[in-house]
Amino acid sequence: MSESPRKRQRTTPRNSEGPEAQITPYSDLRQLAGVIPKPITPFRRASSAGAGPTPGSRRTPNIAIRTPKTATRTPHRRPGTRPNPTRRAAPTTPHAIRALRERANAARTPGHNRRRSGRIQRETPRDTLRDLSRLLARTTRPVDPSPQVQARTPRNPALELPDIDDGPEPVRPRLSMPLEDMYDDDSIHEAPPRQSLLPQVPDDVDNGTIHSLEFGRRALSEDPRQMYGGRLSERFAEFGDMIPEEEYEVDGTFIRQNGLDDQFLQDAIDNDMDDTTTDLRALARRSGGRPSDVTLGVFGDQDEPDDPTFVFTLPQRIQAAPQEQPEEGYEDEEAQDEEQPSVGAGIDVIYDDDDDDDDEPMAAYDAQGWESDEEIHNDQDLMTYREEASAMDRSLRTQSPERAASTKGRPGPRSGRQRKEMFRTDFGDEYPSFPAATVKRLATGFAKSQGDKAKISKDTLQMLVSTTDLFFKQIGGDLAAYADHAGRKTVEEKDVLAVMKRQRTLTSNTTAFSLAQKILPRELLQQLRMEPPPKLRGQKRKRMETIEEENDE
Amino acid sequence: MAQTLYPRGTVKKIVKAHARKPLSRNADILIFLNYALFMQDLIKEASIASKQAGERGISAKSVKKVREGCLRKFMG
Repeated sequence: MSESPRKRQRTTPRNSEGPEAQITPYSDLRQLAGVIPKPITPFRRASSAGAGPTPGSRRTPNIAIRTPKTATRTPHRRPGTRPNPTRRAAPTTPHAIRALRERANAARTPGHNRRRSGRIQRETPRDTLRDLSRLLARTTRPVDPSPQVQARTPRNPALELPDIDDGPEPVRPRLSMPLEDMYDDDSIHEAPPRQSLLPQVPDDVDNGTIHSLEFGRRALSEDPRQMYGGRLSERFAEFGDMIPEEEYEVDGTFIRQNGLDDQFLQDAIDNDMDDTTTDLRALARRSGGRPSDVTLGVFGDQDEPDDPTFVFTLPQRIQAAPQEQPEEGYEDEEAQDEEQPSVGAGIDVIYDDDDDDDDEPMAAYDAQGWESDEEIHNDQDLMTYREEASAMDRSLRTQSPERAASTKGRPGPRSGRQRKEMFRTDFGDEYPSFPAATVKRLATGFAKSQGDKAKISKDTLQMLVSTTDLFFKQIGGDLAAYADHAGRKTVEEKDVLAVMKRQRTLTSNTTAFSLAQKILPRELLQQLRMEPPPKLRGQKRKRMETIEEENDE
Repeated sequence: MAQTLYPRGTVKKIVKAHARKPLSRNADILIFLNYALFMQDLIKEASIASKQAGERGISAKSVKKVREGCLRKFMG
């Protein structure tokens, strides 16, 4: 027992300093710690010191060999250390240097039993694991994922195999639905069988214009996108360009647009038409492959060379949504044929051109639809029909018996108002255009309040009117959707309020009534306020709420 | 505001045609209110756009430029 402290004193410099520490200042210990950089050592040392008799007895023989040197050094050092803490330069003698190094080594290398035992005692499981890993990981290598290496080579084969000449590139398969250009000329697909579509056309007839007039028909009820007409603003790109009204002239066998030279016409035919028809043909195929649906009665008598033929340049949007309403388009055609509408209406015509599905192609296209309807019903009819007169002529005629018959259901659109242009919605209902005067008045008022020059030019007004119509179309669809959702048959004020709330014109701060007070004329305001009481109960409550809120404000 | 009413019947007809549903009695006033708000917004945006383009007054071009955004804003 008496030996162990003494031996400890000698064994390691720290231990030897241990008793000394009572005397030496803290800086001395720090100095030592600086000399021995391993941060783990104090921990181990302390552990071994507290380890008890067994490690101590083991350790003694080992370090006893070294101790003399260190012991000899330490006394040297100690007196110096005390007055002068910065004694780095002290171990100048080889003995001292060696001793220092050895001490450091002793601290660093855990190769001794004493250390190991101490470590085992104090080790955390993490240390154990680390040691284990050091043992085990000596042979193992970090795993590099093999698929990566494999994938790397095919990734850029062109770089690695520059010599390989791979001929013409194979046509890349198209992954999307090739609705628009399925049967392009450079397509690898075989051309669709046209003979079945145009059975009566001899081979030498120029096909370019013939098959260009085919249109697929889709039942209106089948297309879910056409319910309520969708949102206009989604299709806005279509309305971007205002096409002036186009006129047709009869040119030989063609009725064509003015201002188009032949080259352009031919191009238009080749590009637009082909796309359209193939597209439609594809549609027809998909829907059960009844080619006769697509065939047009117009060209039934193509063998007569003098028969005039329609040539239309179709804008792309028709391809996008080939919807058809069999009875649509009479109005439009009439508008083209007989009357040039007066000033206010002229604007509207142009707008309508842009609005839903392009009047002017629609007109012809509807005429075809109307004729091919007959064909659907029975071919016998069609044959007789073709024989009796040129189908072309018929479609141009404004007062054909069929047309009169089909228009009969509608209340005479033109009889009442002469000047007002009537439009058609997607559903075939006709509606008047919004009066431009009101638009102008509103716009002028708002522009004035904006501090702008309150002059609104004619084409601006025209644009505003067209925007107005778009707006009403949009809000009509929205309101219908809301009313439908509520299971109502009528559009009610709640729907409008809901729409306004949704578009955030109504917030918690603004009610419909406050807005109305700001904007609407007083008569309307009064009506808005006074009407509610005789309403239905649910509606009344809604209205009343609004009014109360308003009164609070 | 010494102006006449807006053509109520026309608005009703238009919306009715588009919605394919009849309108209740006062819905058209609210619709017109909405339309007036829309017009206000449109004029405001258009005047901003035309000022940015350095035009005098409101041009058709600026209206055309902003109307899509305005319509989108007034989607229900």
